[in-house]
Amino acid sequence: MNHTGVTPVARAAGLRRGHLVIGGIVLLVLLLVGVSLAYLSPVLALLESHPSRLPRGVPAPATAPPPLDSSKRINVLLLGSDNDQKFQANALLSQTMIVVSIDPAHRDVTLLSLPRDLWVDIPGRSSAKIDLAYAEGGAPLARATVEKTFKIPIHYYAWIGLNGLVRVVDRLGGIDVDVLHPVLDDNYPNDFSASGYGTERVYLAAGPQHLDGRHALQYVRSRHGDLLSDFGRSIRQQQMLLAMQQRMAGMDMVTALPNFARDLNGHLKTDLDLVRLTQLAVFMRGLHAGDVHQAFLTPYVHDAVSADGQQILLADWPAVNAYLRTLFGGDLLP
Amino acid sequence: MRRAVATFLGVLTLAGCTSTAAPARDPGKVTLPAKKVSVPGRLYLTKSRGLYVFAGTRLTRLVSGLTVEDPAVTPDGGRLAFAQVQGQSSVIVLADATGRNGQSITAASGPEGSLWAFKPSLSSDGQRVAYLTDRGKQPSNPQDLQPNDLGIWSYDSGSKESHRLVLPVPYTGGDSDPAYRPGTVDELVFTTYLYGGRPLLPVARLTWMSTQNGSRIYLSPDGERNFEPAISPDGRFVAFIHATGTTDGLYVMPLASSYSREPRPAPTDSAVLLQSGMVAQPAWSPDGTAIAFLMLVNGSFDLFIMRVSSAGSIHPVSAAEEITHGSFLDADSRLAWAP
Repeated sequence: MNHTGVTPVARAAGLRRGHLVIGGIVLLVLLLVGVSLAYLSPVLALLESHPSRLPRGVPAPATAPPPLDSSKRINVLLLGSDNDQKFQANALLSQTMIVVSIDPAHRDVTLLSLPRDLWVDIPGRSSAKIDLAYAEGGAPLARATVEKTFKIPIHYYAWIGLNGLVRVVDRLGGIDVDVLHPVLDDNYPNDFSASGYGTERVYLAAGPQHLDGRHALQYVRSRHGDLLSDFGRSIRQQQMLLAMQQRMAGMDMVTALPNFARDLNGHLKTDLDLVRLTQLAVFMRGLHAGDVHQAFLTPYVHDAVSADGQQILLADWPAVNAYLRTLFGGDLLP
Repeated sequence: MRRAVATFLGVLTLAGCTSTAAPARDPGKVTLPAKKVSVPGRLYLTKSRGLYVFAGTRLTRLVSGLTVEDPAVTPDGGRLAFAQVQGQSSVIVLADATGRNGQSITAASGPEGSLWAFKPSLSSDGQRVAYLTDRGKQPSNPQDLQPNDLGIWSYDSGSKESHRLVLPVPYTGGDSDPAYRPGTVDELVFTTYLYGGRPLLPVARLTWMSTQNGSRIYLSPDGERNFEPAISPDGRFVAFIHATGTTDGLYVMPLASSYSREPRPAPTDSAVLLQSGMVAQPAWSPDGTAIAFLMLVNGSFDLFIMRVSSAGSIHPVSAAEEITHGSFLDADSRLAWAP
């Protein structure tokens, strides 16, 4: 006699249904995990490609990265290099060095360009231009050099090569930029030629316009026709970052992220993990033009020649430090 | 396991990141808004370096197969000039109003190497063409870099000769946007690109020049970026773009009745017609009652028209009207408007 009033046959059927439901849920979860992994595998492949060990003699990062949902500032060192066939992949100078400083508390971002010719002490090495740090010790040494020189804690880095930049801009559908001066360069390096040694003629009209990846690269990279030389290039690089941020704000990131990751594979190195990368993407996507501030060290540096005859920039360090205090407040390293 | 957790967190975070996608960039398509606006006369523009003309609500592609920038017309609309890009050089072409029967009036190369030529402007009588070129530059190579900034030259249809009007300041990119003042053959307005302020920053100044004696005055202050001047058909006003760090504006300022060395007032707020994220390439209608321009909307540069009145001070009569929609027009190429 079954006191519940349910026959054994009915209970067995109920158990089978229960097993089916559980099995279905497990299957659904597995399917979801599988789809998620398939969706994000390009991203994970990209993010796992960075070296995790520090080279010998290079100090560890000064501070651990704070969570983005805290009120603590997060600093990302953006590095960019010419990495076409002319250069050895393991000895690239960092032609671009920009500290992206994110202040979640005030919901703003500061872009600070570091002049590549600035003469600094590189940890464990002698004095040199700051762009040599990346060539000598990769991102860890570039990070350590920035931390030692400017007392800015660098929580993450991201390095991108020329082709990566072109692909990102193209994946964004191009960028809209107000070109500050006409850009003319009869000797622009043709990075896309077979040898990497060719040159091409470049003309970009001044004024607002749409640029695809190749022309965006020409805009930020050319300096032959710019009296401001590397400073002019820094201004244009920051313009491009702002334009990319604005373009990103209108994008469907769910669809775009795996494509970005595929495009960038081999052209991007970063120690950002997936969660932090997506958090940053969401944060940057929500910014308005007025939330991003541009900063340059140009007023505090001057031209000089090193003992070995290189054209370099020397800094007025008290002035640089005072300027950095206005930008970073109490968030600088001791 | 960590990977799976990270994947889930990533997916969950990204779930909040969808948005309406920007319209697709179609290199061959110019699309019109649901509410079509009729364009009086003929308005020339380029898209993906193809030359188009609007008339009413009808759009026609001209001169297929050519890579074209910067159309310009005579006030009567009888003659068309444009820059034709050929690989890594360009020439100025004079043609009929349909772009056919074109003749190059500049050379694609010279002793100094390959040459650029852009932004032609026809004088009222159609006899002269002011244009930009790097002609006269020093030969340059990677071991001996020389500036190749664009200067302003003038072509005379009678003599079929060109001569230089403005020598560019080296390493500025040069000058741009030359425009003859309607009704004159010896007054030119253009943009001078320079560096100004401290620290030095790129600036752009509107310049008024007498081609008779080469004297020049600035129409806009140092330390600002004012560019792409377009002179009204009666020669009384200059429309131009005023850029700040974050936004562009379409401005209009008066131009004195005759060339003078008197300093001009800087653009003021009273001359603002429109402020937007990005605006470019103003061009006056042949009767001076409207200004066409390109404006960035949802990631696409599209054509707009604003009706204006010059009764009293110049001011907009209506809001800007959308002529194209999601068409990704070339914002670095001039517009030209003919009767």
